[in-house]
Amino acid sequence: MRYVVVVADMKVGKNGDMLVTHALGSCLGLMVYDPEAQVGGLLHAMLPLSRINPEKAAANPFMFVDTGVPELFKKVYDLGGQKKRMIAKAAGCGRPLGNDELFKIGERNYTVLKKLLWKNNILLDAEDVGGAASRTVHFDLSTGQIIISSNGVKRDL
Amino acid sequence: MRPKQIDRIMAEVKSFPGMPGAAAKLLTLSNNSDADASQVEEILRYDPGLTANILRLTNSAYFGLPSKVGSVKQAVVLLGWKRVIQLVIFSCVNALMDKSVAGYDLPPGELRRHSIAVSVAAEDLVKELKIMAPPEIFTAALLHDLGKLVLGGFVKDEMEKIESIASQGVPFEAAEHMVLGTDHAEIGAQILKNWSFPSEIVSAVRWHHAPDAADETNMLIDIVHVANVLSLMIGIGVGREGLQHEPSPLVTKRLGLNITDLEKVASRTLQWVNEMSDVFVND
Ligand SMILES: [Fe+2]
Ligand SMILES: [Fe+2]
Repeated sequence: MRYVVVVADMKVGKNGDMLVTHALGSCLGLMVYDPEAQVGGLLHAMLPLSRINPEKAAANPFMFVDTGVPELFKKVYDLGGQKKRMIAKAAGCGRPLGNDELFKIGERNYTVLKKLLWKNNILLDAEDVGGAASRTVHFDLSTGQIIISSNGVKRDL
Repeated sequence: MRPKQIDRIMAEVKSFPGMPGAAAKLLTLSNNSDADASQVEEILRYDPGLTANILRLTNSAYFGLPSKVGSVKQAVVLLGWKRVIQLVIFSCVNALMDKSVAGYDLPPGELRRHSIAVSVAAEDLVKELKIMAPPEIFTAALLHDLGKLVLGGFVKDEMEKIESIASQGVPFEAAEHMVLGTDHAEIGAQILKNWSFPSEIVSAVRWHHAPDAADETNMLIDIVHVANVLSLMIGIGVGREGLQHEPSPLVTKRLGLNITDLEKVASRTLQWVNEMSDVFVND
């Protein structure tokens, strides 16, 4: 099955599934995969911290990095994924030109992610973050292969 | 080479569809203080499709009406003139904004989603900042990227040049201007001028990427500028141009905007965009 993950959303799947997310701007795309169980998930989170809008976070934890990431791991564990085998990769977290702190939502998303992972002893295996270009992610759950497309150029993550 | 191309662009601006009849009539009517709701109904009664869209929009959760509205007359009473005219303009341009946009790499419906996002984010910023802004803000935001419909094909043809300039850190619309001699903000403003839109709306569209270059400062320009960058950041309508735009620190300072305001607005925008886009899904 092919699942499209929209903004503020998360999907998990298994061998044979393809997870796709489009238009990562400042948002974080986080992909986790257990190669042995061949299960994984993709989170497309918009904002760093849920305290900005607890009501929204309760209705949809995937809008925020701090509530979405634990939920992503939980759902992949539910499918048989194991923490010690889990591979985590990040994409997105871009930002507009200039140096205005206000618009560094992407960097704040990334920082919150790193803190969360660090606290849980998980390392990022690869990342394609920052810059002003929009990104699309194709995540093949049969192989764990992740392809990032950006402005017509494709690369493996 | 350039004069020829700019001539072709301007020819397309000229042949761009005129403002839809119902919207034009209503705009004239709205300047007349004696007008009443039944005159609006009279204009719309010959266009059942348009009327249906307006009622669907009126009843969308965004406007928070306590009960379902069944007639345009009622809509005018509950939402007021200005809002109903905005919805007429919205419904009229909807068909134009539904298509995919070449050059900017926007799939079908994405320009509409982006336009709605900028409109609701703009109105929400006004609320969050507790500032006063004219009601035209909704329409200015909705139409800010109209010029992409004309310029998209030209951008596509010159993508290599535009991208090689943009890759050096030049804002995308500035790269458009360097290569094509114009950009989508200028083109959009020209179309709206041709449609005889109020000058505040025209200038908000004209300067949405470059508010510091405007010969005036006003709330409409500032808010549309910020709402546009924010909508792109959260991935709504972000295509080939990506986040390749520079938000103006002068604008954010003028508005007194802080990180919390911006993130709160972002957290609320998505739901409204989905709800308002759904109104048109079954067309
Ligand atoms: Fe624009
Ligand atoms: Fe825009």
